[in-house]
Amino acid sequence: MQRLEVMPRTYYDSITLMRVAKEITSMEGIENASLSMGTEANLRILAAAGFDLSGINVTPNDLVIAVSGEDAVLDEALSKAKEYLANPPWKKEGGKSESYKPRSLDGAISVLPEANIAMISVAGRYAGDVALDCLHRGLNVMLYSDNVPLEKEIEIKKLAREKGLFVMGPDCGTAIVRGVAMGMANICPTGPVSIVAAAGTGLQEVHVQLAKRGVGTLHGIGTGGRDVRAEVGGIMVEMATERLLEDDEVEVLVVIGKPPAPEVEKKILERISRGDKPAVLGFIGGESRGDRDGVYICTELEETAAVAAALAKGEDVAEARKELDSAEESLRELAGKHGPRKGWLRGLYSGGTLCYEAQVIAKELLGPIHSNTPLKKDLKLEDSLTSVEHTIVDFGEDEFTQGRLHPMIDVSLRAGRFVEEAKDPGVGVILFDVVIGYGCNPDPARELAEGVLEAKAVAGDRIAFVASICGTEADPQNAARQRSILEDAGVLVCESNARAARLASYLLKG
Amino acid sequence: MNERLQDLLKNGPKVINIGVEQFALDLKEQEVPTVQMDWRPPQVESDLLSKLKKLRKK
Repeated sequence: MQRLEVMPRTYYDSITLMRVAKEITSMEGIENASLSMGTEANLRILAAAGFDLSGINVTPNDLVIAVSGEDAVLDEALSKAKEYLANPPWKKEGGKSESYKPRSLDGAISVLPEANIAMISVAGRYAGDVALDCLHRGLNVMLYSDNVPLEKEIEIKKLAREKGLFVMGPDCGTAIVRGVAMGMANICPTGPVSIVAAAGTGLQEVHVQLAKRGVGTLHGIGTGGRDVRAEVGGIMVEMATERLLEDDEVEVLVVIGKPPAPEVEKKILERISRGDKPAVLGFIGGESRGDRDGVYICTELEETAAVAAALAKGEDVAEARKELDSAEESLRELAGKHGPRKGWLRGLYSGGTLCYEAQVIAKELLGPIHSNTPLKKDLKLEDSLTSVEHTIVDFGEDEFTQGRLHPMIDVSLRAGRFVEEAKDPGVGVILFDVVIGYGCNPDPARELAEGVLEAKAVAGDRIAFVASICGTEADPQNAARQRSILEDAGVLVCESNARAARLASYLLKG
Repeated sequence: MNERLQDLLKNGPKVINIGVEQFALDLKEQEVPTVQMDWRPPQVESDLLSKLKKLRKK
């Protein structure tokens, strides 16, 4: 049985809607629950899920609640959904929302005239225009939303450059401004390093790795991954680099991302070479090699942080790199103790940059890696739900997030996939990331550990589980507590994503 | 340098949050001045309403 209810002219953000849907789906007797705005795309998804939409009249301004399951519980599910919308059960005590929320941007500015940045996380089709409005009113922008068209991104960034304002994003999940964590970000000390990042979880990993070495970060300016593509031309990377090089408080500058378009890379290299402070370039798996004139070239995230930390502490960079080599040696020993394992590697990731880095490392040690976001087009998975040989999947990609919460918030899809992978007798190692901090699942290790234990019930000790935690002890989820939950479930937990990817590969390589 | 950018980098963020309210709550926990905006998508007329308007014009 199914029931549909339309709430006219009612708007909630997508994360709230998906969280409520998840709560309702977990009710006894409910098969499926969906809360979405009445856009054409959403109506198509509902129809595909088997809901009968004949005779309903909705606009994109109306909220549609759809539930299916046992008849007796459907009314209760609908009223629970409305109750949760009005009063979300996950809101922390003391975290009550303000009673007055201005409806217009001008209203918001009159409440906080000193505002200097707008954080935008509305649906991508509207986000670009909202960003333009904010820029016109002289506000810097952090654009969390994805699905902003490339042409719109270029328009926004050109306007921002003209006005001398920052636009972080689109698709910028993480930023740090004077140590403040914005979006999905970690609690780390403030200090002499600043980061420009065209890579969201890459920024989180470097931020956390610096903190692990006792070095703080002042700013972490996200630019959105597309910024370094030829079409955008690195507008924001260049602008942020420029501003941070001029900033007396910044002692060491770090620039990270996937390898940029060659002309963008050249521009960044030239600019930081002219600067008067040491800079570390961390383009993951990049072609550039060799340090030069105060510019240090790295190809992995932990390496980038280790070099930047050494520079900040006035220590020898060569020594910092040597330490990473000896850490690699201990990983080999650890692999010898827990391996060798036979079969394929399966990587299940929530962080896009971490997934990319894992592929770069595993490819070197194991050969071709299949993925939904492969390093080479011909290794693209036909179906993201079905692994092939060595596979590393990014669960943060569109095919997993349309109508679902991001895997850093909802870990259930990955926990379920552990069991599916365990049923494949060819699998020897499962590798995954656990990203914590503000904006992420409040206790991801618990649900992931349950998945690991279920998978072990299927596969026994045939499969080794390897993970890393991107986070600190100061984060709300507490990295040490997350680690012990995973270790109790028999997971080998490494100090960084790069180390986890190496250990997973060594376990199979022998 | 643009004053608002300079203020952002020197004095820290003061935020207008447009969208997911959790981000505003996380910022307030860090004692960041934050205003949550009650943003709504631009109004789109329902098919019925636009048909009625057309009829009225005739």
